[in-house]
Amino acid sequence: MEQINYTDEGQFFSGHVACAGCVEAVSLRVILNTVGPDAVAVVPPSCTAVICGGYPFSSVKIPVYHTTLESGAASATGVKRALVKKGKPDTTVLCLAGDGGTYDIGLQALSSAAERNEDILYICFDNEGYMNTGGQKSSSTPVNAVTGSTPAGKSTKKKNMIEILAAHRIPYVATASPSDLNDMAAKVKKAQGMKGTKVIIILIPCLPGWGVADNSAVKIARMAVESGVFPLFEIEGGLDYTMNYSSKNGSVKEYLSVQKRFRHLNEDQISSIENDVDEDWQRIADKAGV
Amino acid sequence: MTQQPPTPLWTNDTSEARMTGTWRSAMPNYKNLPSPCRGACPVGGRIAEWIREIELGDYKKAWTILADNNPFPSIAGRICHHPCETDCNRNQLDETVGICNLERFVGDLALKENWSFPAPTVSRDTSIAVVGGGPAGLSACYQLRRLGFKVSLYEYQKQLGGLLRYGIPAYRLEKKILDGEIQRIIDMGVDVHLNAEVGSAEALKELHEKHDAVYLATGASRSKNLPGLDYSQSWVMDSADFLAETNAEMACDLGKDLVVIGGGSAAMDVARTARRLGRNVTVLTLEPEDKLPAHEVEVVEAKEEEITFVSGAMMQSVEVNGEQITLKCIRVEFLQGEARGQFTINPIPGSEFELVTNGVIPSIGQDADLSRWQDLLNSEGPVISTDKQWQTSTPGIFAGGDVASMDRFVTQAIGMGKEAAFAIARQLAPVSNETSSPDDPMVPYSVINTSYHSTLRRHLAANSEVEARLQTFDEVQQPLSHDEAVAEASRCFSCGTCILCDNCYLYCPDMAIIKLEDGYEVKDDYCKGCGLCVAECPTGSIAMQEEK
Amino acid sequence: MNAISNKMLLSGNHAVSWAVKLVEPDVAPVYPITPQTPILEKITEFEGRGEITTELVTPESEHSAMSACISASLTGARVFTATSSQGLLLMHELLHYASGARAPIVMFNVNRTPASPWGFWPDQLDSLSQRDTGWIQLYSENPQESLDSVIQGYRIAEAVGIPTMISHDAFYVSHALEVVEVPEKQMVSDFLPDYEPENVLDVEAGRSFGAPIDQMTWNRSRQELAGSFAKVEDLVNETGEAYGKLTSRPYGALEEYRTDDAEVVIVTMGSMCGTTRVAVDTLREQGIAAGLLKVRLFKPLPSASLRKALEGVPCAIVLDRNYSPGMGGILHQELKSALYGMNDAPRLHGIMAGVGGVNVPPEKIESLVTKYKDAPTSVEPQWAE
Repeated sequence: MEQINYTDEGQFFSGHVACAGCVEAVSLRVILNTVGPDAVAVVPPSCTAVICGGYPFSSVKIPVYHTTLESGAASATGVKRALVKKGKPDTTVLCLAGDGGTYDIGLQALSSAAERNEDILYICFDNEGYMNTGGQKSSSTPVNAVTGSTPAGKSTKKKNMIEILAAHRIPYVATASPSDLNDMAAKVKKAQGMKGTKVIIILIPCLPGWGVADNSAVKIARMAVESGVFPLFEIEGGLDYTMNYSSKNGSVKEYLSVQKRFRHLNEDQISSIENDVDEDWQRIADKAGV
Repeated sequence: MTQQPPTPLWTNDTSEARMTGTWRSAMPNYKNLPSPCRGACPVGGRIAEWIREIELGDYKKAWTILADNNPFPSIAGRICHHPCETDCNRNQLDETVGICNLERFVGDLALKENWSFPAPTVSRDTSIAVVGGGPAGLSACYQLRRLGFKVSLYEYQKQLGGLLRYGIPAYRLEKKILDGEIQRIIDMGVDVHLNAEVGSAEALKELHEKHDAVYLATGASRSKNLPGLDYSQSWVMDSADFLAETNAEMACDLGKDLVVIGGGSAAMDVARTARRLGRNVTVLTLEPEDKLPAHEVEVVEAKEEEITFVSGAMMQSVEVNGEQITLKCIRVEFLQGEARGQFTINPIPGSEFELVTNGVIPSIGQDADLSRWQDLLNSEGPVISTDKQWQTSTPGIFAGGDVASMDRFVTQAIGMGKEAAFAIARQLAPVSNETSSPDDPMVPYSVINTSYHSTLRRHLAANSEVEARLQTFDEVQQPLSHDEAVAEASRCFSCGTCILCDNCYLYCPDMAIIKLEDGYEVKDDYCKGCGLCVAECPTGSIAMQEEK
Repeated sequence: MNAISNKMLLSGNHAVSWAVKLVEPDVAPVYPITPQTPILEKITEFEGRGEITTELVTPESEHSAMSACISASLTGARVFTATSSQGLLLMHELLHYASGARAPIVMFNVNRTPASPWGFWPDQLDSLSQRDTGWIQLYSENPQESLDSVIQGYRIAEAVGIPTMISHDAFYVSHALEVVEVPEKQMVSDFLPDYEPENVLDVEAGRSFGAPIDQMTWNRSRQELAGSFAKVEDLVNETGEAYGKLTSRPYGALEEYRTDDAEVVIVTMGSMCGTTRVAVDTLREQGIAAGLLKVRLFKPLPSASLRKALEGVPCAIVLDRNYSPGMGGILHQELKSALYGMNDAPRLHGIMAGVGGVNVPPEKIESLVTKYKDAPTSVEPQWAE
């Protein structure tokens, strides 16, 4: 059995208010402890903001700047430039945002930061919707998913954010999953070691938002990876693709069936999703030369 | 000098001040729950634990854990009927862990390295007589010595081992293995009396007077007789005698073609021994082939050795014509009864047939001779009656193994010897006897997170080639190599046994699990009771426990 | 004592850029917009030539520029940005955020008509409609004042932990060339203490800003902001006085021009003050005792000082180059509030003059004075045009 091998250095504290069983908290723990003490975090409104904060307490050892929803990457830029000017160019500036703050309202600022290749490590906790506001659709919500604002299921597909970012030709874009903490830690470490804009999108199965059990988020994330719904891959310099989990042996149908938000799907919808997954997978696999 | 006004808006403490433990309704509980293999094991062996030690490379520790319940790992590793493998959770992913092969690996290593059992930490004046030097008796001797009792062992044969020596052929169990594992027990300080029969109630009474307790484990050495067969004929040989003689390396006088009657393990031993003596062998069984009481692998190996099976049939009469013996047989309908060994048969009219042979070896089971003690000990059917503590109708006299039970596998006898030893000990002295509560349910496959266990074929111990087998009495089953053993050990799910993998610790979203040197502790103040630790435990050794 | 300075012919915008060069802030996120663009281009030119080491950020929007300003400021950097009109309005959300965060950013705004309809003309509605965002607001009359106010702005902002916005009118000031005295860098360095805030995003301290808070803490934060705002008027006066000692150009929250024994005082802000000075001189020559009360500090409005300045003045005319729809001129409304309950308050007339950048020549002001100086208080605001 492969051991999980990152070390908890005490960068993330107990007593935060994430939902019981939330894997965003698990992922934060990996990221914060991998990045280490010489870092500043910028957090737009999101579940992460709630998890980190709750004045006068902080659950995060490094300083956190809570910014506005659309400002993540711009605020991170400000922190980074100030640190450079103050003679601390090696301090890592993290931006920890949700999919709303990344795919939607924060995309403009992120695209600009990426275009300027600002030296920031941007993490998107992608729970495929506005889950902190009770579960409405975002442009990351997958097709057919029921949310508070798509009660009959979303009619359009999830935005391909990862390749939008890759098109900026930034040094590093990757996906990661809480079902593989070693891979996540390795990607964070790798990204931290690079200069410029690095983005890691982490799939966060949301317990209430997706309608899954408190203890199941890692399992669901694993199913997403193994079924090919959420492939684990990296793109370096916008062109160089690597697949980190190159077999697709899980069932898309099973992945869908365990989530309340997909409970209403009919066979045609399921097979259409399966086709999409196959096509997307093949396209990435082709680029990665797998 | 820049002066900023005091502002309250910057955090000034950590979230550890917030007690999220109040959210919880259930909390993880680290409890090494019994694995199904352990539940199935007649000696209650902590199988998952010792296999884990093989994986980690601490073979001595593996052996120590193994020998806690069974002083015969090398023997059991060869001949155990391994119900552990039948119940192994891994069967549901691919195939069982080769527990028996691994047990042999550890046992053989212990013999090779001359590892000995530690001397008892206490010494008691209380003395116990063990009657019968077979697996049950020796197991009792071992456990009683470990507990510090004085032990005298009385064996009516001239060598110890009982069925292990006189009933199991060498191609299944090499004699030097048997000798080694027995000697290691004797070396703990057992007072051995060979050729010492306790043949009457009087003798037993006398023995009891000399000792504080007696454990009777004389086995079942008397063969059951097949009705309609004249055992006095020269072409008939009792199976126990056959095995005892061949095991003592005596030749067999029977002719070229033989029929063995019976479908049990002993019948297989007889048939395969006869093959090694150059005979053509046919096995005649009442049971249809898929219901043979012998272990499947024994039947498979027997067939490999070109033994013919005639199943679901019985002998009705015999015709003798010089050296040619004709067995008049008929096909039967075999109906399995509820209890083991219970069945009814209905001959199928018109299905008569004949088997022509030179000799017959009936092998339909063995009984214990109870009549010698009938004045002293009550019996129940074919065995001495005992209570749950293996105590007979005479207080202070205990019994176990084949003489007291119809559970007739070697490891069951070893387990009974262990249980009786503890029962005796409890009666005679305050001893601590730590065993896991029998009420704990076995770890089911459903709680094993198999994503941490990839599919891997079993590393099965090889058998020697059939041609070579038939030339000698050398062991058929070959040992696992060191690498195979370690690889096989790593297939074990370690059901219910914490392997300190840190999954629970690192998957806790609330940093509510603390690492200790040999385990983990849950921080009551912060655990929200989500159960992610349980879900991601690869061994099912944590369970959520409702609070209030 | 007059410090050494250079006289240069500069537009208002370039005067701002020169102030930025002298202050040399740590970080300057900037986004172009007409008519602010010359400020940006001059600063990037300075940086490109290596004359300043400011970290320039050129993001995709004013919104991101302000986002970067706030976080850089909270990281301990001295920060500058400039904008105008739509850009300022786009920043609106973050203007609240900046003051709540007590980030002493200095921002220059070139007053321009907000769309729609589209226009590029001087009008103060863009900045005045940011009245409630919690920024200190200074209005500059000319290029020299713009330069001087930027320098003073840092001392004011950093002393109370409140962001400061300085505005001048599009084109009338932004693009008008005037002779400007540019101080020596050393003088500016001496004038501005090092920026060393108590709370910063610092890995050693590990303190975080912006975590969600409870009602009472939010309430307390506003009261503390109010306490700081209460100090601003004095601070602006002291700072302007200290600056005056170094440059012979003293500044205050308000400036009175020929208000002695005035029977009518014109109250206004920005470039309108310059025109009014000319009109006042002409009116005085005509025998009308007119004066100018220039409001340099609009936010916080120096209410007590305004009452004092207008005490005993029979008539006050407010000239607003802005229109708050449904209400009128914003300075007029503010002044009405300031004078409320005053025993001998002047008859007050609120005139919207030059809204949308329409030229208001001195003659226009003279005619307005003639029209309103003896009229009873105008309850409703009046249009000059």
